[in-house]
Amino acid sequence: MTTYLLKRILWFIPTLIAISFLAFGLSKCTPGDPVMQACFPEDTPFNEDVFELEYRRCARSLGLDRPSFYFSLSSAAYPDTLYRIQQMARRTTLSKLIAQYGNWPEIEAYYQEMKIFKSTLSAVPDSLASYALTNIKADIRFLPLQYKDELVRRTLDSIAVQIQENALLAQRLEPAFNTLAQRYATIKSEATPARLYVPDFKWYGARNQYHYWFSRFIKGDFGISLQDRRPVSRKIWEALQWTLILNGLAIFFAYLIAIPVGVYAAVHQGKIFDRWSSAFLFFLYSLPNFWVATLLIIFFTNAEYGMDWFPAYGSGNLPDDAPFWSRFWEVAYHLILPVFCLTYASLAFISRQMRGSMLEVSQQLYMRTAKAKGLSARVVIWKHGFRNALFPIITLIANIFPRVLTGSVVIEWIFNIYGMGWLTIESIGQKDWPVVFSIMMLGAIVTLIGILVADILYAFVDPRVRYKK
Amino acid sequence: MREKEQHSDIEQELGKRTYWSFAWERFRKNRMALWSWRIFLMLLLVAVIGDFLANDKPLYCKIDGKRYFPVVQDYAVQAGWSKWDSKFLMTPWNEHTYQAVVWPLIPYASEGMDYKNTYTGPFHDQRVEGLRFRHWLGTDDLGRDVAAGMIAGTRTALMVGMVAMSIALVIGLFLGALAGYFGDDGLKLSRIRVVLNSLFLLLGVFWGWGSRSYALSEGNQISNFLLGLAILIGFLILANLLSNYLERFPSLGKRWVIPIDLLVMRLIEMVNAIPGLLLILAFVAAIQEESILFVMVLIGLLAWTGVARFVRAELLRIRRMEYIDAARALGFSQWKIIFRHALPNALGPVLIALSFGMAGAILLEAALSFLNIGVPEEQVTWGSLLREARNYPKAWWLTVVPGFAIFLSVTIFNYIGDGLTQALDPRLKE
Repeated sequence: MTTYLLKRILWFIPTLIAISFLAFGLSKCTPGDPVMQACFPEDTPFNEDVFELEYRRCARSLGLDRPSFYFSLSSAAYPDTLYRIQQMARRTTLSKLIAQYGNWPEIEAYYQEMKIFKSTLSAVPDSLASYALTNIKADIRFLPLQYKDELVRRTLDSIAVQIQENALLAQRLEPAFNTLAQRYATIKSEATPARLYVPDFKWYGARNQYHYWFSRFIKGDFGISLQDRRPVSRKIWEALQWTLILNGLAIFFAYLIAIPVGVYAAVHQGKIFDRWSSAFLFFLYSLPNFWVATLLIIFFTNAEYGMDWFPAYGSGNLPDDAPFWSRFWEVAYHLILPVFCLTYASLAFISRQMRGSMLEVSQQLYMRTAKAKGLSARVVIWKHGFRNALFPIITLIANIFPRVLTGSVVIEWIFNIYGMGWLTIESIGQKDWPVVFSIMMLGAIVTLIGILVADILYAFVDPRVRYKK
Repeated sequence: MREKEQHSDIEQELGKRTYWSFAWERFRKNRMALWSWRIFLMLLLVAVIGDFLANDKPLYCKIDGKRYFPVVQDYAVQAGWSKWDSKFLMTPWNEHTYQAVVWPLIPYASEGMDYKNTYTGPFHDQRVEGLRFRHWLGTDDLGRDVAAGMIAGTRTALMVGMVAMSIALVIGLFLGALAGYFGDDGLKLSRIRVVLNSLFLLLGVFWGWGSRSYALSEGNQISNFLLGLAILIGFLILANLLSNYLERFPSLGKRWVIPIDLLVMRLIEMVNAIPGLLLILAFVAAIQEESILFVMVLIGLLAWTGVARFVRAELLRIRRMEYIDAARALGFSQWKIIFRHALPNALGPVLIALSFGMAGAILLEAALSFLNIGVPEEQVTWGSLLREARNYPKAWWLTVVPGFAIFLSVTIFNYIGDGLTQALDPRLKE
């Protein structure tokens, strides 16, 4: 038994790591710059002097100043220090330039020259030619973000025209600008796209983003939300409470109704109750619960159809200092419809399973023995049959675990209940990726635990499992 | 002579009654399943000829003595073979003066907006020219015809289901067959083949996509992606040809046992552990480009585990049968035995997985477009119609009609799956 358990738990680890690769890989593909999102909300004024420093500080606090992974397998054209260029937009531009021309030394020289030109530019007093200067500054701010040949040339030409029109400017800026233009021309004339096809393995060690993220994730630190800078774990905890209440109630009611229905239908197999309940449950099973939820909201929460019986959205908004019982009833009143929608779907499923497993058990010989012994029908059914028929239902626990976390996404969204599902969709809308991928990881972990628990329970009740291997 | 004829008659009679004809007969006895099958065929027909059923262009028209078949011509225009007359580009289709015209059953396109009739119900007064142009199932907030939207939605739903399930089928059949047929100790590969395949897999990915990242991100994405795929496949073929040759050297040809069953089962467990809806939501939001194609591929990539489990279980049974031993004794290659002899006999249960999978895929697509994630805004689907109902509770037709369609399609696939289970279950054979 112990070896079996140990084996199962050990298998848990590679699966979890593989899923963490998936989540991390996906989070790296997301659009938008997390640093900009977290530290520079759209309404903060842009201050060029402190921006660079501030950006570095923020990137460090998010752990983004590191290489992404332990190693990289890319082409020899890319330098192994590209990650040190902190600003995501610039880094993207540079790697696109490399992907086009494949000559990093020339590209780096061009990039450095851009900085030199910029500092030369800032040394020029504004009084000299303020209009042209503003234009040039706008252009030069744009230049590090451009990688398409046509656009880069157009920007360079525009700067050239501005400089040449003003003799004073030309005197100050022309040498620096000419070197810059020259550098760009070199990138193109000395392009080595063949280098892109030379594979190269680079080792970065444990100081990387994945390691930073995953080791903190294991310890329960999920990072901060890019939206409001609150800890992700805090946000998830708040949401989790609602989801637990909602799904806990739904699962409780589902089992409460499903088990007697399933047993009764199986015991009276082929009778009217069995036939009708089977047909009805099949019907329920196919009924999409977001449709039912929409129907309920439309017909039972609007005065329009004369059946305005339930509150439409939310989970009640009484203040926290209201008496417990009035808050309780308020919440209960709001949860009737969503809990109903969640209950009926699992009800159908569990009940069908229960019926099937009970039917299987009732064909066993020990059931016949029990009847032959003269035991009452009640004892035969509940003590001999039902207990054994419960085993397959145990495996359904594996399905319940993840359901508690993410099973009610659509229902929560429809009824505006601030649970995990609502949080997920809200975070996706706000591009708050740390929240989304933390929930995804948690969902996977909980599913794995569910499978594990089901396996263990199964091994407990069925000795054949643990001695097989 | 006559005896021989009789003999062949019996043979023919028996030949006709294959496994599938037995299964079909049992399936037909299940009335719900049979009707579900018929409804499915009908939905399929609607999806295929949808453009001829609901379209803002006439099927046939005659203007100034010239005859046109605009719906057919539209296909040609989209393929680049033909061009519209300028008069069709200037004036909407319903404002021409036709000498003769035949409209489709529903003279509206799913995305066409009728500003005079927004949020009109089926029984409301509609500002349309006569009964022919009535919105039989009402309109939404932009005046888009719900009936036309339903037909477009049928097409989307079935396409998502079928494409996703085809992907699931290919992956599931392949991995399930390998796992079931070879088990943990049946697959023996030479060292050189394992090494070369893993090496060339990496290199193929690198040269196929990695080195060409600029073309991939800036050029035509689909053709560049496919080119990368071709390069990868080319490399894998090369790896195997090379190892066919190199295997002759004894030191390279030494065989390793690959516990393929274990690997596939772990992979299945892993894929099942990923919260599917969450992954799709996150993925679709992350790639930003909204396209139904991604939804289909993702559902397929998650749904193959069901197929693989069924195939594996069947092949575990089949591989011990005598005819497989016979095939081995005759010296057929492993691959030929798997794909020609074993797999065709494992297809029955796969159909069950496919049909329940279709129900799941359609439901998932509807939920995604209901949440307005992953499906382009302008594409009308059942889920998107249902979503609109929330903004305007008075429009009951926006809830009832598309919701019923989702329900119907999910139900019929569940019934078909149920019927197939009964028809193909060996325990129920008389």
